[in-house]
Amino acid sequence: MAASEQPAEPSSSIPDYEFMNLCSTPFHIGSFRDEWLKRLKPENVSFQPGDLDSFEARFAAAMGVGEETMTELRSVCSVDSLLCHSGDQEPDPEVVPPNATLQTLTHRKKQNNKPQKRTNNRHDLYVDELDRLTAGRLPETEANRLPEGELILTINIYFPNTVEKFNHLRAHTTLLMTGSHTLADLRDAVCCVSDLQVCGEFSSTPDMAPDFMSKDLFKSAYFFFEGVFYNDMRYPECQDISSTTIDWAKSHNYPQFSTAKMEDTRFLDLKVKVGYPYLYCHQGDCEHLVIITDVRLAHRSDCLDTDLYPLLTHKNRLVTQKCSVCHVFIGRWYTTRDQFAPSDPCLFCDKCFRMLHYDKEGNKLGAFLAYPYVDRGAFN
Amino acid sequence: MESYRKPVKSDCEALLSRFQQTQSVRFEVFSNIWKEMKFVQIFRQSHNKRAFCRLVLDVAYCYFMPPFSFQIRVGGLYLLYSFYHCQTTSPPEQIRVALKDWEDVRNFEKESLDAQHLDVAYILQQLMTCKAFLFTAMPTLLHYSRKRTEEKPELCDEFMERPCRPQELINTQLSEEMSNIHELYKNTKASISSQMSTAAAASVSLIRGGIVSELCSAVMEFYNWQQNRDTVGEAQPSQERISSQQECSNRATLLAAIKSKAYEEPSEAVKSRRHRQVEIDLPAEEDKSFLKLRHSRVTKPSLKNRTKEQIHMSGDLGREAARTTLINHLVTLEPALQEKIKSERRFKSLNEYLESQTKSTSH
Ligand SMILES: [Zn+2]
Ligand SMILES: [Zn+2]
Repeated sequence: MAASEQPAEPSSSIPDYEFMNLCSTPFHIGSFRDEWLKRLKPENVSFQPGDLDSFEARFAAAMGVGEETMTELRSVCSVDSLLCHSGDQEPDPEVVPPNATLQTLTHRKKQNNKPQKRTNNRHDLYVDELDRLTAGRLPETEANRLPEGELILTINIYFPNTVEKFNHLRAHTTLLMTGSHTLADLRDAVCCVSDLQVCGEFSSTPDMAPDFMSKDLFKSAYFFFEGVFYNDMRYPECQDISSTTIDWAKSHNYPQFSTAKMEDTRFLDLKVKVGYPYLYCHQGDCEHLVIITDVRLAHRSDCLDTDLYPLLTHKNRLVTQKCSVCHVFIGRWYTTRDQFAPSDPCLFCDKCFRMLHYDKEGNKLGAFLAYPYVDRGAFN
Repeated sequence: MESYRKPVKSDCEALLSRFQQTQSVRFEVFSNIWKEMKFVQIFRQSHNKRAFCRLVLDVAYCYFMPPFSFQIRVGGLYLLYSFYHCQTTSPPEQIRVALKDWEDVRNFEKESLDAQHLDVAYILQQLMTCKAFLFTAMPTLLHYSRKRTEEKPELCDEFMERPCRPQELINTQLSEEMSNIHELYKNTKASISSQMSTAAAASVSLIRGGIVSELCSAVMEFYNWQQNRDTVGEAQPSQERISSQQECSNRATLLAAIKSKAYEEPSEAVKSRRHRQVEIDLPAEEDKSFLKLRHSRVTKPSLKNRTKEQIHMSGDLGREAARTTLINHLVTLEPALQEKIKSERRFKSLNEYLESQTKSTSH
């Protein structure tokens, strides 16, 4: 029959599952926003609280029902009709009731009885509630107010595992950003220790060390999304470090990649898949997976102060490497060919390092090589 | 938190199943079951509250969407409403609606308004007014982290609207129309071939003679199969279909039964015309082709295989490309290469040092 329909091309502005529960089909973020705004009324995306009284009046008029029916409807649908305690004694909302029949509660009881790895750090308890501190936060000036209908993206940046290899769980940070942020804003928000590494041997001049940070020396970086390399070209020293990969791909019959500038690309201009792993590369070979886990319209309970974005909402605490002398402070120096050290190489905190290797006047004692060290957990 | 998904799902399905038995869409009926099951206690906990609220809302959202029947979707909406208002987190977690699902929400709203289901429409619009929805790209946050081998989420069969598109498509009108066109075609063909001199022209046969009746009997068989599948658990022979159909009271069955009338008639009509047609007995297998279609899944070759097919590389490069790329290869070097530059790279040797330190301290 001629009437049989051709399967429609997947729309590039309405994402669907590409793989169930893993990632979406590729879509253009800006037109995705437009599609939502086309379908919604301004009050749907407004940050003002909803007016229930005027809603009920409108509803009654539209359905052609009187005040009596509305009163009944209101009471039938009230939230009170869902509660089961008898009013005189409110039970503890944190305690699982003893005679519960719901499977969820049986499961929770089992979970609660399990010997748990007690977390001994208060940071861990609140680590996923970071964004709630800023929920509904209003800006001081109107200019910093998040516009209604703006997009909020949730972005996970995963860290390369250098010391321990855990393949099941990778350390990551989660950032909330808006649709009008550029990729350069994202780059500046990623805290990675390799940006802070100080290169060079400083055993003769330990006070000079902090002046040479990798971030200031090697400024090139790129993001890779859907076949496009977005290079950081903000500074004259920046190079297109993606060209090596692009040339290689060209000479090996791979599909063509293209380039664009990180600082000129807003999230609204991007075409991506939600949930799909992409790449951030800096310092030449420090590679991070980047996953956009969510794209949605801003809600009135979001932080409404644009100054507070990119907003950090999750951070893994990393195990820190301690000084091998005092075992208290985080390592700041490491030495090699060091006659005072128990191992080669060896890690020292600043105080122990100086006490052991220099006299009162700051003169170097003995032979050793010293390099500044920035711990992965420096941002905890 | 992921371990809670299964128990939450079975609790929701237990509630929805009881709601389904009442054959009602009234919120009052739903809230009574909710209270009887003490569902509000689901939020009794001391930690991870926000993640748990997220999970229950995501679970409930599925029942609000097709392919579930209208009644179950009403139950899904009531679940969302109850979870949203009973949660203990502040500010509350919102209900995520994906752009691709928005049309389904609007159609659902229209259906409930048309049917004057005041409570359904009131609750949906009240949630909207409360700003209870997040307008999102996908229904849940996606991390690309779940195991690909994870068991396919099972959709509760009893909650499903039965597919009735074949019945809708192959109706009386269509089969009449097709018979007419077929007659016309045959007549035209006959008149043309009578003018032709060669015998070969008359033997041209492009259309199967019994196409209309075949189509109708295929749909009939589909319907019978659908009916039998429902009663298979109760071991009822297919001949008792009519009586079991009377027992079945849910809306979907009734709907399917009403629609079945639409093609029972044309199949009678076709039978009466049979003397004009040559009956072709199809092999039984072909008749059941729709059954096979349902079971075979179209499998797309993996990206790796597609790449391998399209890109041919030779020598070392080819061998390298054929190997699986482990995730940690993205950040570590080949052992040989690592050995070579060990002396030049301070960080590598330091990392090894740290690794040995970590190992020794953990003993
Ligand atoms: Zn890095
Ligand atoms: Zn120390």
